[in-house]
Amino acid sequence: MTLTSTSDEELMAAVRADDLDQLVPLFERYHGPLFNYLTRLTNDRDLSEDLTQTVFERILKYRSSYQPTQPFKAWVYQMARNVHADHWQRQQKLRVADSDVEDVERTGALRGGAFSQMRISNSHDDLHEALNLLPVPQREILVLNRFQGFGYEEIGKLLGCTAEAARVKAHRALQALRKIYFAN
Amino acid sequence: MKTPELSACHELEALLPAYVERSLPAAEAERVAAHLPDCPGCQLQVNQLRALSNDLDAALPETPRTALRANFMAMLEEQKQLLKPEAAAPTPVPTEAKEAKVVSMWPTAGLNNWLRVAASVVLIATGVLLGRNLHWGSQGGTAGLASNATPNQEAHAQLARALTPANGQVVSASDRIQLVTNTTKETEPGDATVQVLLNTLNFDPNPNVRLATCEALYRLRDDPRVREGLVHALSVQTDPNVQITLIDMVVSMRVRRAVPQLEKLSKRPDALPVVRAQATAGIGKLI
Repeated sequence: MTLTSTSDEELMAAVRADDLDQLVPLFERYHGPLFNYLTRLTNDRDLSEDLTQTVFERILKYRSSYQPTQPFKAWVYQMARNVHADHWQRQQKLRVADSDVEDVERTGALRGGAFSQMRISNSHDDLHEALNLLPVPQREILVLNRFQGFGYEEIGKLLGCTAEAARVKAHRALQALRKIYFAN
Repeated sequence: MKTPELSACHELEALLPAYVERSLPAAEAERVAAHLPDCPGCQLQVNQLRALSNDLDAALPETPRTALRANFMAMLEEQKQLLKPEAAAPTPVPTEAKEAKVVSMWPTAGLNNWLRVAASVVLIATGVLLGRNLHWGSQGGTAGLASNATPNQEAHAQLARALTPANGQVVSASDRIQLVTNTTKETEPGDATVQVLLNTLNFDPNPNVRLATCEALYRLRDDPRVREGLVHALSVQTDPNVQITLIDMVVSMRVRRAVPQLEKLSKRPDALPVVRAQATAGIGKLI
């Protein structure tokens, strides 16, 4: 199979036409970056594996809604954002249902997050801890820009703002991260 | 002397990330470069930003366990089996299970919105009804009694009669809201009420009655006709409140079939911008 040279969009068009095997090369190209993106957002590897799997399930489920003219990358990241947002919303619901322990849970989650991150990669403890202290929207924009190789144009499209606005947001997020990172 | 210096620093702070990134326009880059030698504070910031940038670049990507690939392959195999027509018999169950898994996080979100809509409808209806106490006592009272006393079928017929415009609109809008709200409390999914309510949603001239009907239909959402009816209603309703309510409903019920209608709605020139925005957001949540 000489699938590696085929574009994302061609592969997805084939998937859309029920040639599901063409999703395999797309999985190979994207599952790593998507897992990374979700891990940075959630700070939870197990959860991110589940969410990554959900993204690919949704790709299959909603394959007929893919328009071959749209960039696959933008489409799949939009889906990953939705999967993450759905998860976030469900967590919020659980918290509201049990609001008495909300604060305890939050602190617990934060500490747990810090621990699991330490387990992940020792050499960048401080950086990850600082990233995790950023509000999610700021963290997301930095993750897209610095870890996922998104240009400001692409970020703008994904977040529904202009490239210039995306650039300003990314710079603000970087300044915010700097303040946390060098706080001590 | 210090104040202008500080405000200059404050102003430059926003430019420093771009400066470090070397993406500043030449004129601004020169301004920063000219300021830096005299300002230890900004120098420190630039150094920190450089160090941070290097650390970000050096951060290693997280790699998933191989189980992720195995799970993906298993899922793909399962989906391929579903495509084979012969395998139709054993397959519906897994599909249902999967759908349920994805859908489960939404209904509660929808319910909250619905409670809000329901509360406002009930408040309006109660207010109006209190104001026309006598009128309600003489006319609606019999309707209420009848619906309690008669079997289901007769109740549907009565509901249909009361809600049908051909009736000459003898029943006021607030009474119709009350009827729609009351009747569905005692009905079960799958009965004729759904059809009556869908007719009301399509043909009742009053948007508040249609809103109350939406609420009633949401309670009967297990009936497949409801999903179909909502998709249809999306294409014909023109009242912005009803439109937004319908969008919320199809999103919270995850009615994927509604996406084409939402796309049309998001481009309809006669729809309010807020409706179009809601439709666009809805598409984003559904795909």
